[in-house]
Amino acid sequence: MPAKEYEILALTMRYWFVLLIIYIFVRSLFSTLRCLSNVKAAEEESTGNIPFVLVLLSLTAFVLLSLKGKVDLLALLMGILVCSTFLFQYLLLRYLFGGIDRYLLLMADTLCILGFIMLQRLQPALAFRQVEWFGLGSVFLLLTILYVKYFKHWDKLNYPLMVIGLGVLILTLAIGKEMGGAKNWIQIWKYNAQPSEFVKIILVFVLSADLQINKSRLRRLPVLLFTALVILLVVLQKDLGAAFLYFCLFVFLYYIATSDWLIAAGASFLAFLGAVISYQLFGHVRTRIAAWRNPWADVENRGYQIAQSLIAIASGGWVGLGLGLGSPHVIPASKTDFIFAAICEEMGILTGISVMGLYMLIMVRGVAIALKAQKPGDMLLAMGATISLAVQSFTIIGGVIKMIPLTGVTMPFVSYGGSSMLVSFGLLGIIQGIAIKNSKKDQDEEAQEYHDEGDEERNEQEQD
Amino acid sequence: MSKSRIKKNTIGVLLVLTALYLSLIAYFCYAVLFYGSRWFADSYNTRVKMDEKNPRIIPGNITDRNGVMLAETKSELVKDSSTGKEERYYFRAYHDKATSVAHVVGFNHSKYGRSGVEALYIYYLMGYNNSLIEKIYQKAFLPQERGNDVALTVDFRLQDYASQLMKKQGKKGSVVLLNPQTGEILAMVSYPTFNPNNMDKVDDDSLVNRATQGLYPPGSVFKLVTAAAALENIENVLEREFNCTGTAEFNGTKIQCYKGEAHGVLDLAQAMAVSCNTTFAGLGTEIGWKDLLQTGKKFGFNDDFLFSDIRVKQSNLPINYRTSKQEMAWTAVGQGKVLVTPLHMAMIAAAIANDGVMMEPKLLYSVVGRNGNVQKQLEPKVYGKVLDKENAEILKSMMAKVVLEGTGKQARSNRITIAGKTGTAEQGSKDQQNKNLAWFVGFAPSDTPRLAIAVLLEDVGQGETGGTQAAPLARKVFEKAVELGY
Repeated sequence: MPAKEYEILALTMRYWFVLLIIYIFVRSLFSTLRCLSNVKAAEEESTGNIPFVLVLLSLTAFVLLSLKGKVDLLALLMGILVCSTFLFQYLLLRYLFGGIDRYLLLMADTLCILGFIMLQRLQPALAFRQVEWFGLGSVFLLLTILYVKYFKHWDKLNYPLMVIGLGVLILTLAIGKEMGGAKNWIQIWKYNAQPSEFVKIILVFVLSADLQINKSRLRRLPVLLFTALVILLVVLQKDLGAAFLYFCLFVFLYYIATSDWLIAAGASFLAFLGAVISYQLFGHVRTRIAAWRNPWADVENRGYQIAQSLIAIASGGWVGLGLGLGSPHVIPASKTDFIFAAICEEMGILTGISVMGLYMLIMVRGVAIALKAQKPGDMLLAMGATISLAVQSFTIIGGVIKMIPLTGVTMPFVSYGGSSMLVSFGLLGIIQGIAIKNSKKDQDEEAQEYHDEGDEERNEQEQD
Repeated sequence: MSKSRIKKNTIGVLLVLTALYLSLIAYFCYAVLFYGSRWFADSYNTRVKMDEKNPRIIPGNITDRNGVMLAETKSELVKDSSTGKEERYYFRAYHDKATSVAHVVGFNHSKYGRSGVEALYIYYLMGYNNSLIEKIYQKAFLPQERGNDVALTVDFRLQDYASQLMKKQGKKGSVVLLNPQTGEILAMVSYPTFNPNNMDKVDDDSLVNRATQGLYPPGSVFKLVTAAAALENIENVLEREFNCTGTAEFNGTKIQCYKGEAHGVLDLAQAMAVSCNTTFAGLGTEIGWKDLLQTGKKFGFNDDFLFSDIRVKQSNLPINYRTSKQEMAWTAVGQGKVLVTPLHMAMIAAAIANDGVMMEPKLLYSVVGRNGNVQKQLEPKVYGKVLDKENAEILKSMMAKVVLEGTGKQARSNRITIAGKTGTAEQGSKDQQNKNLAWFVGFAPSDTPRLAIAVLLEDVGQGETGGTQAAPLARKVFEKAVELGY
C-alpha cells in the first residue's frame, strides 16, 4: 500500500486499538472487583467476549502491519498464527483445568499479544521467535500447574534446589557472557539464557517451603544464607534488577510468613547499606543514578536511553502516532527493556496506562488467589509468584518513565526473550496451580485426603 | 504457622503493592502532562527533524507580533556535481537581520539541530496539533503536508533596536522587555549573538541565550526582594531610621557600601535610593532565612518554572537553617550564592509594577493553520500573587525615587517617567578586574506601568556601575517603546 494511504489508515486505526485495550482492561477491572468482594467465585466469572476481542485486536493489527509498504503475506500469516496459538492455549487450559483463573490467563495473553504486535512492527523475525517462546512458555505453564497441583512433596526439595540455584549462578559468573552491561547470560547450544531469571522460581519455592513452618531464626539460617548468596552473586554479575527483585521477594515473603519486623527491617537496612556502598564502589551504579536524576544533563551518553524513552512517550501522545508511523527504532533496547516506550509511542499513553493497570490487576488477582489458598505453603507460593511478577513489572516500567532508577529487567510477557517468557509463564503457572487447588471440585478431592495430611502437619509442628 | 496471620500480612502487602502501582500510574500521568511537551520539543527528538530532501512535513513560518517574517521554509534546486542530477533541497531561511532575534527564534538546521522557538514550538510548526481530519486531508489531497505558522509576542522593531544598542555597547549581556499585565515578551536580546543563516561560523558562547539560561548574581537589584520581605515581616519598617557608617560587620565579615561611602541616617526608601548595603544586610539578618526564603519562593526563586511558552533556568536562593549570619547579610544584598536569570529579574520588576501579581512570561502570540484559522492565541496566565497591593505600591514609589534622585538618575527621561533599581554585582573572585555585572531593572511609566525591563551587562570595569552602564540603556529602550506606541 502506498505510504500516504497507509498513514491515513494507521492514523485512524489507532483509536480502535486503544479502545479495544481499554475495553479489556475495564472488563478485567470489574471482574477483579467482583472477585475481591466475593460475589462470585473466580472460576464462575464469565470472560464474555474477551477472547474474541483479543483475536480481533491481533488480527486487525497484523493486517494493518502487513499493508505497510508492499503487502506482506508473512505478516498476515503471523496474525493467524498468533490468534490460533492463543486460542489453542486458552481453550486447552480451560478444558484441562476447570478451576483455572481465566481472567488471569487472558490478561497475561493480552500483554503477550501487545508484545507480538510491537515486535512484528520492530523486527518481524523476532516476533516469530517470540510466538515460539509463547508456545514453549505455555507448555511450561502447564508443567508448573501440574507440579504445583499434584506434587505434594515440593517442599522437601529445598537443598537440591538451593544447590542448583547457586550452581547456575556461579557458572554464569565463571563462563557467562556480557550483554548490555551485565554478565548474566549463558550460552546453551545456540540460545542465550538468563539464569538469574530461573533462579527467581527456585527462590519462590525455597522461601515458601522454608517459611511455611514455624522455626527459630537460627534454623532458618541455610535459607537466609542462600538468599544472601544469590543476591550477592547477581550483584557481582552487575544485574541490579534481579538483585532488587530477589530482595523484595525475600522481605515481603518473610514478613508475610513470620510478621518478623526485625529481620525485614534488618534486611532493608543491609540493602540500603549495600546500595550506598555499591554507589560508592561501582561506576555503573553511579551512572545509572545520574542518568535517572537528570537524563538531560548528558543526553548523548549516560542519559541517552532514558531521554529517548521519554521523548518517544511524549511524541506518542494519548493515542499514539499510529502503528508503523513512529520511530521506535531510535529507542535503545526497544525490543526488550524499553518496549514499554515503543508501545506508548505508537499505541498511545492510554494503552500504556492500561498496560500498567493490567499488571496491577494480575497482582490483585494473584493475591486474591493466595488469600483463598487452604495451606500456608500454598499461600506463600502464590504470593511469591505474584510479588515477583508485580515487582518486576513495576521496576522496569518505573525505570522507563524515569520514576525510579533504571535497572535492566525485562517486562514480563511483553519484552522479547525466551528466559523472560518461560519464567513469567512459570510464575503464572504457580498462581494458576494454587487457583485450581482452591476451586470447589478440587477441594472435594482434598477433603478425602485431609485426614492423613493433617497428621503429617501435626508431626512437623511437634518437631519444632 | 497460623493462616490468619498470613492472611492479615498478605492484605498488608496487597495494599503496599496497590499503592505502588497507583503511584506509578499517577506519576506517569503527571510527568506526561507537565513535562510531555518539553520532552517532545527536545532537540534529540528525531521524529520532528526536517529532512533536506523531500521533507514529509514542511515546517510553518515564524513571524513577530506584527507579521514580520522571521523564519520560513525555502527550497532550491542543487545540481549534484558528480551525477549532474538536479535535486530540491529544503532549508529554513531567516530574516536578513536575524542576528537581532537569533536567540528567540533559534534555528532548525540539518547539521546543528534545533534551538529556541524552532525547537520549543516544533509541535505547532510541524502541525502535530492538527486534528485528525486536517491530518487526513493533508495526507490525501496535498502534495506535501504543511505545519502551522507561529506568531511571537516579540516586536521586531523593538528587538532590533535593543539588539543594536547592545552591539554598540559591545559588552556581553541581555535585555528583556515585558508587558507586566500580560507577561508578553516584547523584546528579549542576548549578546553576543549569531547568524542563523550562517551556522558554520558560530562560537559556542554566542549560542547561549543569556536572558533565560544565564544565571548571574543579582547584586543590589535583589534588594527589591529583601525590601519586600522586610515590608511583610518587620513591623513599622518604614518609620524606622537606619544609620549607615559605610561599613558594618556581621560575625566577622565586613560589608561595605559602594566606595565605603557613609550614607548617615536614612529611612528605607532613602536606603533603596542610594542602594545602601549595610542597611539591607542588617535587614536581611533581621528577617532571617525562613521569611526571606518564603518571600523569595513567592517571587519564583527555586522554582522549576514549567512555563508553557518558554524554557527558563531555575533561579537559586540557597538559604536554609544552616545559613550563617554572614551569609544572610550577603544574600540580602544579592551577593553570596543567589543566582538569577535576566528574564526572571524582569518578571520580578513586572510583578511589582503589576500590583504584586506576577504573570507567566508569554512568547506565543498565535498559531495559525493552513487556511488562516487561528488555532491558538495568547492567553495571559497568572504565575502567582507575590506581594500585597499596598506593599507593591510602596516598592513602586521607592523605585521611582531611585531614578528621580538615587543611583538610577541616568535612566531619567523627559519622555516617560521611569522607575527602577540599579545593581552592580561582583562575580567570581574579588581580585579580578573588570568582572563586575551591571544591572538595571524597572518599569515605565512609573505611575501606570505598561512596560517592565531588565538590563544586564557583563564584564563592566572598575568605577562603572549599573547606574552608569545599564540605566541609560534601559532608558533608551523605554523611549523607543513609547515611540512605537507601547
